[in-house]
Amino acid sequence: MDELHDADCGCQEYQELSRRQFLGAAAGVSAAAFFPSWLPKVVMSQHFASNRDIIVSIFMRGGADGLTLVPPYGDPAYYTSRPTIAIPRPDAASGTKGIDLDGFFMLAPAMAGLAPAFAAKDLLITHGTGQTFVSRSHFDAQRFLESGKPNDPSVITGWLGRHLSTMPPLKAAAPLRGIGVANGLQKTLVAPVGGPYPPRVLPIADPTNYTIGGAAATQASRAAFLQSDYATSDEPLHSSALDATNTLALLKTVNFSGYVPANSAKYPNSAFGRALRSVAVLIKNDVGIEAAQVDIGGWDTHSAQGPITGGMANTMADFSNSIGAFYVDVIATGYTVTLVAVSEFGRNVRENGSAGNDHGRGTTMFAMGKGIAGGRVLTKNWVGLARENLEAGQDLKVTLDFRDVLAEIVQNRLANPNLSLVFPTWTPTMLGVTR
Amino acid sequence: MRTSPMSSAQPGPSDHSEHEPEAPPQTPSRRSFVFSGALAAASVLPRTAMAQRASRKRRVADAPPDTGAAALYGVNENVASFSEWASTVGRLVRRATLGITAPEIARANQLGFQGYLNYQLNYSRIDDGAVENTVLQKWPLMAQTADQLFSADAGQVRTQLQESTIYRAAFSQRQLYHRMVEFWSDHFNQDIDKVGYLLIPDQNDVIRKHALGKFPDLLKASAHSASMMVYLDQNTSRNTAPNQNYAREIMELHTLGVDGGYTQDDVAELSRVLTGWTVTGRGQFAFNPSIHDWKAKTVLGVTIPAGSPSLGADGVKEGEQMLDVLVNHPSTARFIATKLLKWLLDPNPSATQISTIAGVYRATGGDIKAMVRAILNDSWLPASPMKLKRPFHFAASALRSAEPTVNAMTTINNQLAVLGHQSYTWDTPDGYPDKIEYWAGNIVPRWNFASVVSNLNSATTLQVDTTPYRSGSSAAAIDLIDTNFFGGEMPLTTRNALIAYAGTATLTDARARELIGLAIAANAFQWY
Repeated sequence: MDELHDADCGCQEYQELSRRQFLGAAAGVSAAAFFPSWLPKVVMSQHFASNRDIIVSIFMRGGADGLTLVPPYGDPAYYTSRPTIAIPRPDAASGTKGIDLDGFFMLAPAMAGLAPAFAAKDLLITHGTGQTFVSRSHFDAQRFLESGKPNDPSVITGWLGRHLSTMPPLKAAAPLRGIGVANGLQKTLVAPVGGPYPPRVLPIADPTNYTIGGAAATQASRAAFLQSDYATSDEPLHSSALDATNTLALLKTVNFSGYVPANSAKYPNSAFGRALRSVAVLIKNDVGIEAAQVDIGGWDTHSAQGPITGGMANTMADFSNSIGAFYVDVIATGYTVTLVAVSEFGRNVRENGSAGNDHGRGTTMFAMGKGIAGGRVLTKNWVGLARENLEAGQDLKVTLDFRDVLAEIVQNRLANPNLSLVFPTWTPTMLGVTR
Repeated sequence: MRTSPMSSAQPGPSDHSEHEPEAPPQTPSRRSFVFSGALAAASVLPRTAMAQRASRKRRVADAPPDTGAAALYGVNENVASFSEWASTVGRLVRRATLGITAPEIARANQLGFQGYLNYQLNYSRIDDGAVENTVLQKWPLMAQTADQLFSADAGQVRTQLQESTIYRAAFSQRQLYHRMVEFWSDHFNQDIDKVGYLLIPDQNDVIRKHALGKFPDLLKASAHSASMMVYLDQNTSRNTAPNQNYAREIMELHTLGVDGGYTQDDVAELSRVLTGWTVTGRGQFAFNPSIHDWKAKTVLGVTIPAGSPSLGADGVKEGEQMLDVLVNHPSTARFIATKLLKWLLDPNPSATQISTIAGVYRATGGDIKAMVRAILNDSWLPASPMKLKRPFHFAASALRSAEPTVNAMTTINNQLAVLGHQSYTWDTPDGYPDKIEYWAGNIVPRWNFASVVSNLNSATTLQVDTTPYRSGSSAAAIDLIDTNFFGGEMPLTTRNALIAYAGTATLTDARARELIGLAIAANAFQWY
């Protein structure tokens, strides 16, 4: 295995160079002058780890209301704060009541698709989760969560991109290690191109239809023309073009349309459901995929939230049924995959005048996999919804930093020893997220 | 696989095989050419790579690039232009338009740098009658009022707005104006699937009316747009429970910027000031005093004293006072200046550039034309890095250079969805990104688009005529491609590869279309 590793990582010289490229020191300027004090040294993995998990990372964009996804029905302030949009207790007479999780928290009825994974102890839910850096801006909160270093706008790369850049590929020749199922690359997957290992990340909105078109007879020669023409292109276009030409050939070998999910799993025919289905196909075809980033929007519920029959109920059903299908199709069948789902922030505890709620703070996070210590709702210093305990008098406090959850997964499930590069300046507390 | 064969590959099917054994990564990535210094790079670069580098200009900047944390955790936004892009007027045409055409380059060369810039800035003097007649004929909903549009088919509203937008961007003579229409459409982004027909009057009376006007007029028109009220839930806000969505975004995205010095309290207070700003009837903006919060508020240090419901319609003046505070705020001058510089000049504008343009904002009362004129000067522009075309820009430029007969824009609009950049479908209020790290990976849809467009020859869509490319030798065809698609400044490597691909025989229609497609798909065509 060491031989493989050496072939891939490219020897001592490369390590040395990579370090310089990571620093990006300009000519005539000492590296120290630009050396950020928090910059750690890259640790090369000593072994070509082949038993580590693939990660599927989901971003619930818009600020998902964790108090509707997983309401603390045991807290009376939940019901007094939400006269029109609260979910009925699991023991209510109503037919549209919540699904009990632990006697205090419940799942919204539209989240039922996640109940089997929770019951099998493969789904962990965290609550009061988020960023300690306070931002109620979607765009700041999203970019800082994706970068993994809150409140530092200079970090343009994402935590998952840096993970790929600091780990050798699972399959040495894989042209596509990371896929963003999107038209443009999500920040989570943006990688420093000069890192120790080639990240080989592409955004592919629809992997089932990845083609350069035109006459079939000349496709190969046109692709070769393009590969050659982009050889002199600058980064990041250069790597993208090279990865793309190689991925074109790879995806031709994958049969998406004939795919039959295991255990009769039924993916919803939604953008999110189709995306997870495509990710499942890539995983099962053993093409060397290591990371997938999938987005699901529709969580910015300023008005008419509709937690039981309206807009948010539909979004929750799409979310939970798609992940539920992925669970029975991929995770329950033994593929070593960890799935995580995050959102940039939660929403105000009290509903607003439009039967919705505005930008808040703490929310839920989800982690799923055979290596996840699931079947529980994990909190840390949970303070509840009583008004005197709210942040700024309005929001569930963030008492559990998202990086604690992700860092433990990166270290224990993705086998990456470079936590300080993936989450710079953060010393994680291991909370027992993984088994 | 970043392997050395890529840089020396000859065109041919054998180079496109999958699953080659992994070779050691080529030591310095392309990135190192930019971020590592020349001294450090020179000692380790393979000879071929150095040769490639030699065809690039060094970027001349007035300050050393930030190579600290940004280089470690950043991406390359500092792409030096092709050495073939020698003409300063050519640089201006690339920046001031949505793509090169041979007549546009000729016009710019005739007028000179300043003359051409003035010509494009004084857009109302450019006759655009032919394009507007086509818009009226093919997309008649664009000329209707909100009252008329109320009963229009929602699907027609959507496609007519989208198709006319890419049509105008590609074929209008008022190119710089349309660059700014695109810019402000993102700045005041709205999602057609949320606001529907309201977006047509918003485009006509807010964006297109003020795109090269005064920023305060633009901001105020947007704040009085029924479409914006609906998009950011302002129409659901009321005194008993204000909705903060619009109050936040008007400060974060439209004026001050996220670091512009406002607090969560300012958001909450401004949302109270704006209660009552709503819509009525068929898409009309209205102020409803009965849901306005008349109690005292303080926003950004400005106190608005308590009012009385007896003031009625005058309650709108509280919000209008705050709009004046916002457009006159120094953070707004800096935020707008920075964003315009990033759009027109450089993803990393210098502190000097930002303060200069912010100064123009303050001195001219936010005159957009004056800021654009100051940015596109013949000193800054030649020293600026190349920018990657976003897909909308890329598609428009392909149409401009290919000069098709337009029968319908349906195919193009559908392709924009595949490219991830269909107009008015970015659902969050920040607008489509203008970031290279976001778009650079989306390269296969561009190559596919190039193939689709070059092969269009239908009386119901577009017709690209290959006759001019087949009237002489294949070398003459490449020359014509150079003129039409690259302004005569096609990189030599691309030219040689196209010549090799074309062969020596007279081109067939199919071969000519492939060459046009490869020109559109080529590396050099992605930049401006």
